[in-house]
Amino acid sequence: MLWLNLLLNGIVWGCALGMVAVSFSLIFATTRFFHVAHAAVYGLGGYITWSALKHGLPEWAALVVGVAVCAAVGAAIQKLLYERLDRSGATHLVILIASLGLSAVMQNGVAAIYTSNILQFGLPWGNRTTTIGGALLTNTQLLTVVFGLASYAGAMWFAHRTVLGKRMRAVASNPFLAEITRLQPRQVHVAVMAIGSAMVCIPGVLVPLDLGLQPFGGVPILLTATIAVIAGGVGSITGAFLLAVVIAVLQNLSLLIMPGEWSIGITFGIFVIFMLFRPRGLFSS
Amino acid sequence: MDFLTTYIALAEIYVLLGLSTNLLVGIVGIFSVSQAAVFGVGAYLTAFLLMHSSTPFPLAILLSAALCILLNIIVTLPSLRVSGDYFVVTSFGIQLLATAVFTNWTGGTGGANGLPGVPAPILFGHEFIEPTEFMLLSTIGMALGCLCFWLIMRAPFGALLRAIREDELAVAALGKSVLRAKVSAAALAGAFAGSAGGLYATFLSFIDPSSFDLDASILLLTMVVVGGARTLAGSVIGPFVLLALPQILALIDIPTTIAAAARQLIYGLLLIVFMLFRPQGLLGEKL
Amino acid sequence: MTAYLQVTDLNKRFGGLQALRDCSFTIAKGRITCLVGPNGAGKTTIFNAITGFLAPDTGHVAFQGTSLDGKTPQQVVRHGIARTFQNLRLFADLTARENVLAGMQDHVGEEPFAAIFRPIHTARTLAAKRLAALDVLAHVGLQDRADTLVRNLSYGEQKLLCIARILATGADLLLLDEPTSGLSGAALTEVMALLRRLQSEGKTLLVVEHNTRVVQQIADDVLFLHHGHLLAHGSPAEIIADPKLAEIYFGGAL
Repeated sequence: MLWLNLLLNGIVWGCALGMVAVSFSLIFATTRFFHVAHAAVYGLGGYITWSALKHGLPEWAALVVGVAVCAAVGAAIQKLLYERLDRSGATHLVILIASLGLSAVMQNGVAAIYTSNILQFGLPWGNRTTTIGGALLTNTQLLTVVFGLASYAGAMWFAHRTVLGKRMRAVASNPFLAEITRLQPRQVHVAVMAIGSAMVCIPGVLVPLDLGLQPFGGVPILLTATIAVIAGGVGSITGAFLLAVVIAVLQNLSLLIMPGEWSIGITFGIFVIFMLFRPRGLFSS
Repeated sequence: MDFLTTYIALAEIYVLLGLSTNLLVGIVGIFSVSQAAVFGVGAYLTAFLLMHSSTPFPLAILLSAALCILLNIIVTLPSLRVSGDYFVVTSFGIQLLATAVFTNWTGGTGGANGLPGVPAPILFGHEFIEPTEFMLLSTIGMALGCLCFWLIMRAPFGALLRAIREDELAVAALGKSVLRAKVSAAALAGAFAGSAGGLYATFLSFIDPSSFDLDASILLLTMVVVGGARTLAGSVIGPFVLLALPQILALIDIPTTIAAAARQLIYGLLLIVFMLFRPQGLLGEKL
Repeated sequence: MTAYLQVTDLNKRFGGLQALRDCSFTIAKGRITCLVGPNGAGKTTIFNAITGFLAPDTGHVAFQGTSLDGKTPQQVVRHGIARTFQNLRLFADLTARENVLAGMQDHVGEEPFAAIFRPIHTARTLAAKRLAALDVLAHVGLQDRADTLVRNLSYGEQKLLCIARILATGADLLLLDEPTSGLSGAALTEVMALLRRLQSEGKTLLVVEHNTRVVQQIADDVLFLHHGHLLAHGSPAEIIADPKLAEIYFGGAL
C-alpha cells in the first residue's frame, strides 16, 4: 500500500503546488514578466502567520493577517518597483534582475529576523488523522486539499465572472489595446499582484504546518510551480493546477524507484531537456 | 599581508567569472542564474583530475575549460530558441539541478562535505602553495581573460555583438548568423567560467557545493550589475568591490548567525538599487 | 528578357488575412522595377518572402536560376540579394561607418577564435575594411559623416546610409523598401540620382514606392499589387494611364 500513500501524498502536495501555480499564472499572464520574488512572498506569508499565532491570535485570524499582509506587499512591489521600472522603459532583463534582488532581500530579511533554523507551528490538531476510504490523512492534508480546490475554483470564478477578472484577461490578451481603451492596465496589474500574493500565502502557511518554516524554501517550490504553468499553457488556470498535481504525483511516485533527494533535480533535469526539444510547451503546435 | 593577497587572488578569479557572466547577461542579453553551476563543474573537474590522476595542472585547466564550453553552449541553447521568460525557469532549473548533483553525488564530489585536499597547482616543476605565489597565477589568468575580452570586443566580433544587441533582424538581413555569434559568446563565457573554476579549486584546496549554489550565481550577477554591463572595466571592478563587502561587514559588529543572510540581503539590495537608479552600473553601458 | 528573379505563385495567409494570393512576377537584370499598390497590398510581405524572413505557405522564389525556397535571410544575402527596411533598422548607437562595416561580408575576426589568436591579422584587415567602408559611404555622399553616431544623422542621411549598408554586402539585387518616403526637395533628388547611378553600375533594383512622380522618373518596369495579387505589369506610362488601376490606387488610399 506504499504506492497508495505516495499517490495521496502526491495529490495533497499537488494541491499546495497548484495554489502556487495558479497564483503565479494569474500574475504572469497579466503582467508578462517573471515575478521571481513571488517565492519570497510565499515564504513571508508563513512567517507572518506564525508571528500572529505567537501573539495569541486564533488560527483563522492569524491566516487572515498573513493573507492581508501578503496582498499589501504584492501591491506595493508592483507599485513601487515594477511599475517604476516599467515607466522608465526598463527591459525585461532589468525587471527580472530587480525581482531577483527583491527576492534575495526578502528571504534574507526573514532569515535575519527569524534565523534560518526551521520553525515549527506546533499545532497539535494538524497531525490528528482521519480515515477516508481506507486512507489515512492528517487534518493539515485535508485542509490543503480543501483550500487547493477552493483556490482553484475561486481563481476560475474571479477570472471569468468578475469585472476585474475580465479586465485582467483583456489586459493579458492585448496590453496595448487595454492601454488606449479605459481598462487602465496599471491598476489591473496592482490588483492582480495583490490577489496572487494573497493566494500564495495559503500554501505558504499550509506546507510549513507539516514541514516547518524555512526562509529559503520558496524558490524550488515556485520553480516547480512555474514548470506546471508553462507545461499547462501560459494563461490557463486549469492547465496550471492540473499539471501541478501531475508533477507532484509523479515526484512522489518516483520515490518508489529512487531516493528522495534526487527528485527535485530530476524534475528540473526533465524540464531542461524538455525545453531543449519542445521549447514552446506541451500544448502548443 | 596574507589577508590582502588572498582577497586579491580571489577577486582576480572572480574577474574571470565576471567576464563570463558579462558576456552572457550583458552582451548576449540573456538572464542567467546558472553561471555558478558552470563554474562549479570546472572546479570539480580540475579537483578530480588532480586528485585522482596524474594530469598536469595546465591540462586540467584546459580540460575544465573545454567541458565548460560544451556545457555552457548546451545550457544557453534553449535561451536562443525560446523567449526570455521561459528561459528564466530553465536557468534556475539548471542551477538547482547542478546543486543537487554537487550535493548528492557523493562518489564524485564528496557531497555536502566537499572535497578537501585539492593539490596546489604545479607549473614548470614549481608548486604554487603560498597565496603570494598563487597570486602570480591568478594575475596571469585574469590578464589573459581580460586580454581575450579586449581583443574580441575591438575585433569585428565585438561590433557584431553590439549590432545584435540593437537589432537582431537587421543583422540577419546583412547576411550574418545571429545564432552563431551568440553560441560563440556562450562558448567563450564557458571557457572563462571553467578556467576560473580550476583556479578556484586549486587555490582554496577545498571545494563544497555552497560555493556554486544559487546564492553564488546571484553574487556573480550582482558583480556584473554593480561593475557595469558590457565593458571590460565593469567586469573588473565589480568583483573587487563586491568581495570587499564581506570584509567591510566583518568590521561592523553583526552576529555571525545572521552575517551570511545580511551579506546576501545587501547583494539583493544592490541589484534593486542599481536597476532602479543606475542600470549601467559603475563603469558599464545600459543593460 | 531573362528572368533574373522569378517569383512563382506565392501564397501567404496570416490568420484571416490573405496577404499574398497566387503572386507571380519576374524581374529583369539591370532594371529598376517599382512595386506599387495601396497600403496593405502585400509589398513588404513580398520582400519578406524573397529575403527569407517569411516562409510562404506555397510558391517559389528563384534567383538566377537557383531556388531560394527555405533559405534563411543570411543565405539569401550570400546569394546576392539584400534588402532595406521601411523603418530603417539602422544600428543607432553605432557610427555610420560601423553600420557599413556590419554590412560587409567575410570579416576576419568576426568570431572569437580569429579575434583572439590572430589579433594582428584581424586588426590589419579591419583597418583595410574601415577604408573600404569610407569608399562605400562616399558612394552615397556620406563620407564626411563616417564617424557620426547614426542617432545624430538627419533622416535623409539615415535613408542614404540604409542603402550604403546593403551596398556593402556586395549584393547585386537590391530590394529597397520605400527609400524616398518622408523625403522632399534636395534629399529626394539625391536618392533618385543615387538609384539611377546604382543602375548604371550594374545593380538591379526592386523598389517599393508610393510617390507616382518618383515612379515615373526612375522606373523601367512597374508591378502593381492589390490584395496580395499581381494586377498589372508594365511600363510606368502604361500603369499610370490605366484608369482602373488609378481608381484602386487612389480610391483605396482615400
